[in-house]
Amino acid sequence: MKWSQFFNTSIGKKLLVGATGFFLCSFVLVHLAGNLQLLYKDGGKAFNTYAQFMGHNSLIQFLAWGLKIVILLHAFVALQLTISNRAARPVKYQVNPGNQTSSWYSRQMAIMGSILLIFIVVHLAQLWAPFHYSEMPTQSYEGVSEPIKDLYSVTYALFQNPLWVVLYVVGMAALSFHLVHGFKSAFQTFGLNHSKYNGLINFIGIWLFAVAIPIGFAAIPVVIYLNK
Amino acid sequence: MLNAKIPAGPLNTKWEDYKGHCKLVNPANKRNLEIIVIGTGLAGASAAASLGELGYKVKAFCFQDSPRRAHSIAAQGGINAAKNYQNDGDSVYRLFYDTVKGGDYRSREANVHRLAEVSGNIIDQCVAQGVPFAREYGGLLSNRSFGGTQVQRTFYAAGQTGQQLLLGAYSALERQVALGNVTQYSRHEMLDIVKIDGKARGIIARNLITGQLERHFGHAVLICSGGYGNVFFLSTNAMGSNVTAAWKATQTGAYFANPCFTQIHPTCIPVSGDHQSKLTLMSESLRNDGRIWVPKKKDDNRKSSDIPEDERDYYLERRYPAFGNLVPRDVASRAAKERCDAGYGVGTSKQAVYLDFAAAIERYGSIEANKRQMHGVSKEEIIKLGKEVVAEKYGNLFDMYAKITGENPYETPMRIYPAVHYTMGGLWVDYELQTTVPGLYSLGEANFSDHGANRLGASALMQGLADGYFVLPYTIGNYLADEIRVKAIPTDHPAFAEAESKVRDNIAKLMSIKGTKSVDFFHKKLGKIMWDKCGMARNEQGLKEAIEEIKVLRGEFYKDVRIPGDENEFNPELEKAGRVADFLELGELMCIDALNRRESCGGHFREESQTEEGEAKRDDENFSYVAAWEYKGPSDYVLHKEPLVFEEVKPTQRSYK
Amino acid sequence: MEHYNMNLTLKVWRQKNKNAQGNFETLQAKNISSEMSFLEMFDVVNEELINEGKEPVAFDHDCREGICGMCSMHINGRAHGPWDGTTTCQLHMRAFKDGDTITVEPWRAGAFPVLKDLTVDRTAFDRIIEAGGYVSVNTGNAQDANNIPIEKHKADLAFAAAACIGCGACVAACKNSSAMLFVSAKVSQLALLPQGQPEKRTRALNMVAQMDKEGFGSCTNTGACEAECPKEISLTNIARLNREFINAGFTSEK
Repeated sequence: MKWSQFFNTSIGKKLLVGATGFFLCSFVLVHLAGNLQLLYKDGGKAFNTYAQFMGHNSLIQFLAWGLKIVILLHAFVALQLTISNRAARPVKYQVNPGNQTSSWYSRQMAIMGSILLIFIVVHLAQLWAPFHYSEMPTQSYEGVSEPIKDLYSVTYALFQNPLWVVLYVVGMAALSFHLVHGFKSAFQTFGLNHSKYNGLINFIGIWLFAVAIPIGFAAIPVVIYLNK
Repeated sequence: MLNAKIPAGPLNTKWEDYKGHCKLVNPANKRNLEIIVIGTGLAGASAAASLGELGYKVKAFCFQDSPRRAHSIAAQGGINAAKNYQNDGDSVYRLFYDTVKGGDYRSREANVHRLAEVSGNIIDQCVAQGVPFAREYGGLLSNRSFGGTQVQRTFYAAGQTGQQLLLGAYSALERQVALGNVTQYSRHEMLDIVKIDGKARGIIARNLITGQLERHFGHAVLICSGGYGNVFFLSTNAMGSNVTAAWKATQTGAYFANPCFTQIHPTCIPVSGDHQSKLTLMSESLRNDGRIWVPKKKDDNRKSSDIPEDERDYYLERRYPAFGNLVPRDVASRAAKERCDAGYGVGTSKQAVYLDFAAAIERYGSIEANKRQMHGVSKEEIIKLGKEVVAEKYGNLFDMYAKITGENPYETPMRIYPAVHYTMGGLWVDYELQTTVPGLYSLGEANFSDHGANRLGASALMQGLADGYFVLPYTIGNYLADEIRVKAIPTDHPAFAEAESKVRDNIAKLMSIKGTKSVDFFHKKLGKIMWDKCGMARNEQGLKEAIEEIKVLRGEFYKDVRIPGDENEFNPELEKAGRVADFLELGELMCIDALNRRESCGGHFREESQTEEGEAKRDDENFSYVAAWEYKGPSDYVLHKEPLVFEEVKPTQRSYK
Repeated sequence: MEHYNMNLTLKVWRQKNKNAQGNFETLQAKNISSEMSFLEMFDVVNEELINEGKEPVAFDHDCREGICGMCSMHINGRAHGPWDGTTTCQLHMRAFKDGDTITVEPWRAGAFPVLKDLTVDRTAFDRIIEAGGYVSVNTGNAQDANNIPIEKHKADLAFAAAACIGCGACVAACKNSSAMLFVSAKVSQLALLPQGQPEKRTRALNMVAQMDKEGFGSCTNTGACEAECPKEISLTNIARLNREFINAGFTSEK
């Protein structure tokens, strides 16, 4: 089977979704670690220098563009699968089993994913695009040679509006439910299902990716809003 | 005079000798020879696959939606083979001997010996196909013992052996379909054989989805359509199991042999009410560990747990100390009926006996406790361990029992009662499995050949696969070698047209009755007549009455049956009607045969012929023959006898005491 | 077990044939015993319909002991009804109570077109098996059965996978109409056994390709198939199929 055929099979496509999903999982981990610096009470020095570094390191920039392609690929292939999965049942059931045979979040990956995608677009438009492509107030710090863009203050300003805080919390709830199923599901897709390791995979999937990370992200706007 | 074409020479070299001398068809000619296979159970699927592998052009028909659903799939216990892996004294001869004895000396020695010879090859073939038989920790195959034998020669896959064997044969069949050697016709029912110049040359089949009639040519036709137990309405057969293909063959001139030889299986879940549509078997393997009993007191209404040990009658152990609960099926069934008829039955219907695992659970529990080096354990603990062992061995059967009855068999004994299970009779075939119509063969349960008057447990699977994998592929060559010059006959030949119009008329006749009663109404009535008068015990008067009652019932059927819908569509009621119409003829023939055989043998128990102890009494002097019936018209049959000659085995009174 | 009788309302899918429009019909099932099986309840309803001169409900069934895989009803939103590990024919009316309304639908999947009422066409499964669900061993080729020792644990796992009855409940239960559990059961059985090794690559690739071609959806690991499978085939088989497929895709030379 040629590669083109292989990745056009249902399992091949799922492998793409799974592999890109794993990459995105590793991204959220790193992204959260960086972003938590927003909560340092240091006038934004740690966060802004971090942002400055991330914004100007060419390897990081390369990865950042790769990330966007991965997100699009993940969404595009998943959408393709969702469309063909819907088409596989042209006449629907009158009565559905509901949660008797599967969890609701395992069935709503596409909805959660779509919410996430909307969130990501908004998020990029609010913070990433201005940082890269428009003027932004700068700030000087001791030990930093020249003034750097003050993304920290821009972020604080943004989260004075409760509407955005709610949007970010909803986005993170979607992330949580997307990952509670998605993380272990990707292992299953890669054929990694073994009674000795399933416990660990479930533990990481639930407590790290579906609980700790989304709460960590959501905490940032909430804390900023509450401390105003 | 019927010629069984048994090769000359000593019994144990007949098959070798036959194979060495039968005619062969060269590969180029095989491609031009077409074979029709009716039925895709163990016999049909294995034959179709093997013939496809050899290069013949095969068409395989089944009425189900897939070949994988044939009723062989429901066989639970296992398959016998003379492998002697257990070093317990088994051999080809012993398997042969047990089968002939188990069949109460009413089977053909040469066929049975051949069956025993190829039994080992079947296991090899199935394992090679990936059939997951039960294994020991050393990785080698496991065996268990089965009713009627004293060696462990039964190979099994939990309680689903038939399923695994059929899926093996089905996969071989599907492989040939993919290779283009076999064409599969699912949801098709054969409704007539086409005979040209005295030879079987094709069939008329109905596409069950569209209702269309189709003509199919074949140089030979194989009937592998299973048994006719559903003539009793209630049996362990599938709802669709039927005699139609075999009966059409009979009407076309094939003789029907020993129709009265039916097997009543001793361990089935009892009938629960009038709504009952079928009966469910509890594998015979349960008798390895379960003990069968009834109360010693008549009409005892106490719960089983309230009946103390010394008030229980383990009647099989009492009557047959040597074999105990492992006596052959016919013996166990009759003993259960005897107890119930005498008023010792249990349950609300009083038509049941107990199959009790309490002793086995305790025994296994103690063994397990020893294995785990647990000392001084409580009885509860032992019972818990024992239940685990029993669950591993029979879990699926216990679950099935619990689902059907709503009772927990780990806590209370199962209630069981005999039910129709298998039919030893069938189309008469010679040593080559050919019927009396040249080019028309019959394999598996559909033929009569190997089990005599009673089949031993785990032998049906063996016979179906032996016929399909290892016997017919040789013997059919002997016929087809002379057919290589016969070009495929176009299906516009008048014989095809005539057969098709006959089938069309039959269907039209059924559809035009437009009576008031459903097909099942008549089927249930027929079943009741058969069970009451041609069931576990038969007598002259009852059989004579049954024959008259069936004739009357048949008359009513053709006057008053109602078939909704029309013939040019998917119409399950029409399918059933056709099958019941054939059962209504077959049932009569079964009674005629039972009436003719004024002896008791195997599953055929004539009350007039029993020993003082109530055991079956054979009459070898007058009835050591196969009764093959020629169909001349409804109610008009001519008896042909094939004498049974025993060169190796001396028929004696069967004793399991 | 206490027996009781009940009256039920059935909402049953009726469809004349493959091309016809279908709709739900409401039928009354009267005086149904708790000891009947679900299909025996339908027998009673059909007998009544025939007596009234109407067409009985067409449904697939054969062995009625849970092994042939022919019966196939979607009952109140559940493939084979409310009991776990049970086929429709083994479901008994004890599961219902007097006055219940039961909705009965056929398996719904594009790859399983409705033939009539509750009967669907599952020949897609046969074609998937044709694509590689076998060991290529002609009759007569086999060596002695005990020449192939197989670790008991693996033999047991192979058997557990091979217990699949091909009923299609996995497809019916899956929100994507995916046949992965069915395909994985056969691939697993043969992948676990030494007999299946020579063809393991082509088997995995071809069977998955055929599955896709038949129009089944893909697996999103919701686990509904495992929950509804009457033979309780495990999801680990799907993981094994994925492994086999990945291995084959990355290493096959063609």
